Amino acid sequence: MTSATAVQAKPRKRFKITKRVFAYLYVLFMVLFVVLPLVMILVNAFLDDGGNLTVENFKTFFTEESSLIILGNSLFVGVVTTAICLLIGYPVAYKLSRMSSGKILVLFFILPMGINFLIRTLATKAIFIAMDVTLGMGTVLFGMVYNYLPFMILPLHTSLSSIDKSYIEAAQDLGADRSTVFLKTVLPLSVGGIMSGITMVFIPTISTFAISQLLSNGKIFLFGDSIQTKFDQGLYGVGSIMSLVMLAFVLISNFLMNRIGKNNNVGVGRSLW
Amino acid sequence: MNKVAKKRFLPVVAVLLVALVALPLLTACSGGGESTVTGGSGQDKLYIYNWEDYIDTALIDEFSAYYEEVTGRSIDVTYTTFDTNETMLTKVQKGDANVDLICPSEYAIEKLMRGGYVRNLTELVDDLGDEYGMTFDNLGNIEPDVRTAISAVFGDIPTGNGTSGNMLDYMVPYMWGTLGILYNKSVVSQEELDKYGWGVLWNAGNNPELEGEILLKDSIRDTYCAAVMYLRDYGMLPEGNSPSLGKPYTEMTTAELINSTDDALLDAVEKVLIEQRDHISGYEVDFGKDDMINEIVYVDLAWSGDALWAIEESYDEETEDYTLGYYVPESGSNIWYDGWIVPTTVRNELAAVMFIDYMCRPDSAARNTSYICYTSAVARDKVRSDPDAIAALLDVEYLWYASSEECELYTDSEGNLVFYYDWGDGEPYYLDADGTDFDGDADALTAFEAATDEEGYWLDGEGEYIVDADSMNLFFEDTARYAEITDSLGIMRDYGSANDRVVQMWERIKAGAETPWELIWCLIAVVLIVGGGIGLYFAREAFKRRPRRVVSAAAPAKDADGSDKKAD
Repeated sequence: MTSATAVQAKPRKRFKITKRVFAYLYVLFMVLFVVLPLVMILVNAFLDDGGNLTVENFKTFFTEESSLIILGNSLFVGVVTTAICLLIGYPVAYKLSRMSSGKILVLFFILPMGINFLIRTLATKAIFIAMDVTLGMGTVLFGMVYNYLPFMILPLHTSLSSIDKSYIEAAQDLGADRSTVFLKTVLPLSVGGIMSGITMVFIPTISTFAISQLLSNGKIFLFGDSIQTKFDQGLYGVGSIMSLVMLAFVLISNFLMNRIGKNNNVGVGRSLW
Repeated sequence: MNKVAKKRFLPVVAVLLVALVALPLLTACSGGGESTVTGGSGQDKLYIYNWEDYIDTALIDEFSAYYEEVTGRSIDVTYTTFDTNETMLTKVQKGDANVDLICPSEYAIEKLMRGGYVRNLTELVDDLGDEYGMTFDNLGNIEPDVRTAISAVFGDIPTGNGTSGNMLDYMVPYMWGTLGILYNKSVVSQEELDKYGWGVLWNAGNNPELEGEILLKDSIRDTYCAAVMYLRDYGMLPEGNSPSLGKPYTEMTTAELINSTDDALLDAVEKVLIEQRDHISGYEVDFGKDDMINEIVYVDLAWSGDALWAIEESYDEETEDYTLGYYVPESGSNIWYDGWIVPTTVRNELAAVMFIDYMCRPDSAARNTSYICYTSAVARDKVRSDPDAIAALLDVEYLWYASSEECELYTDSEGNLVFYYDWGDGEPYYLDADGTDFDGDADALTAFEAATDEEGYWLDGEGEYIVDADSMNLFFEDTARYAEITDSLGIMRDYGSANDRVVQMWERIKAGAETPWELIWCLIAVVLIVGGGIGLYFAREAFKRRPRRVVSAAAPAKDADGSDKKAD
């Protein structure tokens, strides 16, 4: 009797489909396309042409002046793009969050994202050529801002429109004028949105390569372009090191943004992250 | 406890194991466009690895039919492509390319030969001939000048196992061409080209229309070659002897110069290429042809095949002329050869060699040439005298039939046809039937008694149409298509151990030496806007504090400080 129940109990347990099972597919995907590539980059970074262990790649990258200039330029472009996106995006998001039809209007900002960014960038290039604008850093910056602005507006809008109106009313009741209400109430409550907006713009801009290449005819050479060249020319070691450097920047900026966001977030402003 | 932990752990292990098994499969599938051209279940298989857009794809189907006819076995041809020699090299060297045929450039073949990845084709052809009793006659159709040129440079290449060999024993040339300047005739004149040569790429003539409308290749090998030629044309080569060759740079041949990677030369090249950035629109590898045809830019560093393709596309109906032209400066340039090789990993030797042989048929050569515009390595005279090849060219309208409205027909003393053209503008001229200039005595010609059809096309004695000599001349005597192979054209070899230095120099050029002023201005503007906003805020606070003693119930004045932060 006892053995029979045990036999019965066992298969029942084995075939039980828990919620966890549905996650396995994604775990498999993650391992294949996120973890393994990272491991491969890490391994490649320490191998030379012949497959021997070496730290020569590190030395090559950090002693080559041009690589560091390119890295500096990329960070510079990232900072400027993020700043412009924030300056344009914040007023827009603020205005939209105050409007009753704001949700629909936000769609207009998100709609272009439905078109592949490569097609949009090629179209931008065609417009610049038709307008006889010289392709260069200016057009690259325009393309970057144009492409990444929705990533700034979206989290800002989410966090701004989730601010409880009663906070603002309370501030007004206590005698604050409009600018004080904004600076002392709305701005602090939207820090979470600002931080996720900055992260979502800054990180892709420092690693982008197609926009800079297309909108400057290859004259502006950013970190992403450099990594691509390295892999094209078969310099896998240095290319991997550069990818790791990029990853380090992504992690650092993520960490910093989280820290600032946590310190300032009063717990009301919701962000996308 | 332990059991539960184990159970949770097991799926993770399983997933990892599956991942490890799946990974090699995934990497094997990825990379390169792959297409099985002939579908289904052939008895034999052939895997071809070639450049993108480098064959008339209909020929692959025809080869399958030909193979079945000869061997009685059906075959599946799988055609995969690569976009750079480097991609191909990595794949082959890592053992990921399980193919029977590859078509790389000469310097990549050299690299592969040194690594011992290439089968000796001459031996293979002999063995197969003995085994199957076949002769691969078309392999002999290759242009002798091309063979001589390759043999002169790659005559003795160490092949890994202590032996060395002539590259011609390992490859069969497929296509060849030159590097030159594709230019817009309305902006750059022939005189300018002759006067400035490679300097056109630097806008040496200070042509205001050309400034900022020049495209370079986003590939260091080609741009390096143009830069070295420019240095030589303008007497800017480094002084003193080259440490690698021990003679002055000015006395070096084109081939020696473009293959030299001495530090002094690299520095000079870097300097002129950074200077060049102010005059050019940018670097391209794919959109240059289109930009030239659409007249967005006026000069492009181009390979002969691409240039011919662009010129054909640039035909202007109004002026009845091509807007583009191709020019190879007389001082010298790069000449390159792509060829078929059989890797050591080959599985179907017979099909591989038969395919190469099929590609060397004059009609295959004519079709490939007309399809991709590059110059076939099959001898020009073999193509010219092959009826099938001529028929193929007539099909795609590279050649056309002679019309009585355009030319008159004569015969010389030996009965050969001679064509007479008088277009009204310029000198009338005589051409032989094969398109070459007629160099006999024009007075000794007799009029050819020929009939015409109702549309005025000439018919010969048997009532057949006659191929127009002028079209033959345009196709076969085009110096852009069939360049004269001389010493001024140099073959570029692999950079070898200097590759890293050259790539680094290229990065410095691409990064540019100039400060990104636009960026700095933008940053200053952003700082000013933010600073202005903060300043205004503090000014207001200070202003507000004073009248507070006189308590006022009036609402504060409407914001008008214009700060960006206050949108409302």
